[in-house]
Amino acid sequence: MADTRYIRAINKALADAMDADASVVLMGEDIADAGGSFKATRGLLDRFGPARVRDTPISEGAIVGAAVGAALGGLKPVVEIMFMDFVTLAMDALVNQAAKSRFMFGGQASVPMVVRLPHGGGLNAGPQHSQCLEAWFAHIPGLKVLCPATVEDAYSLLRAAIDDPDPVVFVENKALYAMAGDLPEEPARASIGKARIARQGSDVTLVTYGATLFNCLKAADALASDGISAEVVDLRSLQPWDKETVLGSVARTHRAVVAHEAVRSFGVGAEIAAVIGEEGFDDLDAPVGRVGAPFMPVPFARSLESRFIPDAAAIQAAVVASLA
Amino acid sequence: MAIDLLMPKLGLTMTEGVLLEWKVRPGDAVARGQLLYVIETDKIATEVEAEADGVLEAQLVAEGETVPVGAVVGRLAGSDEASGAKPRPNAATEDKIQVSQPRAIPASPVSRRGDAQRIVATPLARRMARAHSLDLAAVTGSGPRGRIKAIDVERTLGEPRQAPEKAGAGNAIRAKPSATQAAMARRLAEVKQGVPHFYLSTEIEVSALIALRETLNADATAPRLTLNHFVLAAAGRALRDHPNINRVWSEGELLAFAESDVSMAVETERGLLVPVIRDAGRRALDAVAADARDLVERARSGRLSAADMTGGAIAVSNAGMHDVTWVTSIINPGQSAILGVGSVRSLFRPDAQGKPELRREMGVVLSADHRVHTGVEGLAFLSSLKAYLETPMRLLRQI
Repeated sequence: MADTRYIRAINKALADAMDADASVVLMGEDIADAGGSFKATRGLLDRFGPARVRDTPISEGAIVGAAVGAALGGLKPVVEIMFMDFVTLAMDALVNQAAKSRFMFGGQASVPMVVRLPHGGGLNAGPQHSQCLEAWFAHIPGLKVLCPATVEDAYSLLRAAIDDPDPVVFVENKALYAMAGDLPEEPARASIGKARIARQGSDVTLVTYGATLFNCLKAADALASDGISAEVVDLRSLQPWDKETVLGSVARTHRAVVAHEAVRSFGVGAEIAAVIGEEGFDDLDAPVGRVGAPFMPVPFARSLESRFIPDAAAIQAAVVASLA
Repeated sequence: MAIDLLMPKLGLTMTEGVLLEWKVRPGDAVARGQLLYVIETDKIATEVEAEADGVLEAQLVAEGETVPVGAVVGRLAGSDEASGAKPRPNAATEDKIQVSQPRAIPASPVSRRGDAQRIVATPLARRMARAHSLDLAAVTGSGPRGRIKAIDVERTLGEPRQAPEKAGAGNAIRAKPSATQAAMARRLAEVKQGVPHFYLSTEIEVSALIALRETLNADATAPRLTLNHFVLAAAGRALRDHPNINRVWSEGELLAFAESDVSMAVETERGLLVPVIRDAGRRALDAVAADARDLVERARSGRLSAADMTGGAIAVSNAGMHDVTWVTSIINPGQSAILGVGSVRSLFRPDAQGKPELRREMGVVLSADHRVHTGVEGLAFLSSLKAYLETPMRLLRQI
């Protein structure tokens, strides 16, 4: 299906997973009657009934807590947190319970749960509705963190997340929901932890994920007209992340810039840059660059927010600096 | 708040400078106004003072290294009242660098001076050098701060290896140049190779000039005038008559000066310095002479400031006190012309009737930048200069 919107791919993945497995249930605020704030669950209540598609009270701690219990009890809950920012209220259930269960029960228990978290700015939704907090979860042993950029990945990775026996934090960029892309009739199953080389190049490796992929591709186009060939690696999965693909690319290009929408300080880029520095040291011909949002809350004003989110020009500048 | 210490831009045409000497060490506390480091451009050494109290956190550029204008050479951990100091930009180099053209950051010679000096090289460059048993000390880095990159190693590997034996050198002694010598050598080579010089030479009949000078110097109460003072005044006036000569080539653009500044080459213990006489074309001969005397005195005692060396399109290099006929000079970096002046010679020339006539002639050579000047403009300037010096009373005229 050409021209499928990202949000439709999410919706279809949920529906297909529920068709395939009766233990898949959905929980979240306004996801049943209203079909979700961003309409990810539209039509699913009618199709699968109120026992499997549940509206919950406005209490993220309660939702995720219930989901952890349901998962330990044999269901496969998929939770929608309306905005990623609200996950702060669910941290105990997610970090102390879901992430630890397999380890603490000696492998005899697992929490096959997915928590869907819409992140990112561009909607002028301000400091409490626009954050990219994925690095928090990538720091927690026991959690997997995915962040698909393309329509096909949105479908395939969500199916993979639901199939996974352990808790998966599934991060969707709100700005991508309306984006149309190609979704094959039979999308290939994605495996968690595999990156994709979105564009081949020889002079520098751009490592990215989520919506920033498209700014990287734009930057690579602009750089190409200056004779600079940039390879773009779409991580797709942040925890685990595909070290082999990234280090393999850097071994060919000898330069790397990591770019994401999240705040630069202590971000995902810091981890990747550090590993490139440690394991790819002898391949480097320039310091690893990082591009991310400035260290400040996301501003409301359209004029400020457009400056806050790293754009193609910022990525281009970082690449040029790495070629100096 | 940490303050970046920068390579300052001391003149319109300055693109880089040498960090000659650090006056403080990392960890040293410094007070506002205290001397931090000495830098040198192609024209002058100058001192940089602390703009605020603080502690020197790091020296990021080693002594003798050449870095572009605006490069961070060190970092001062300042106190909060460090206003006026330039705050550290938080983003990386970002928009400073242009992609489409070769980098402006020059290669700086990275040489081994004792074990203390670390060679800055990328990991890949180091790995490649190891694989080829190449000593990185033999490689010139082209990256920021003279960092050796893979391409620099490749370039060096592509060159024929230097013969380690100094065959037939006998008692010759090999020595590293001083930072000043190295900077000067590089700048002169750049100008000579990069600027298309053309040369125009002529003899100037100076009998009238010598007579006028003797007359003026007969007044024992007035400061003594030298021939060079007349040449400087004449060059200024010729420049005023031909404003097209008063331009330089600067970063791909033509820069025209309003004042008829004329630089003069002064030989000093530190090498050749070229201070500027301001608006020599619009000031009285005595004023030009007074400036020239003051600049020579300060050049020899090391008291010239950066401002004294900045500007001007043309310099005068007078070797007339030696025995030399033609002085064909290299244009001073940043300028577009130089006038080389030889000694005065007595000789016979045929007069209108073919009879020998005793004349006193001085050879001058104008070296000019062909990107800026045409031969016709150069000739017009030269004949104007010649006219002033052959009819020297004109130099005394009120302007």
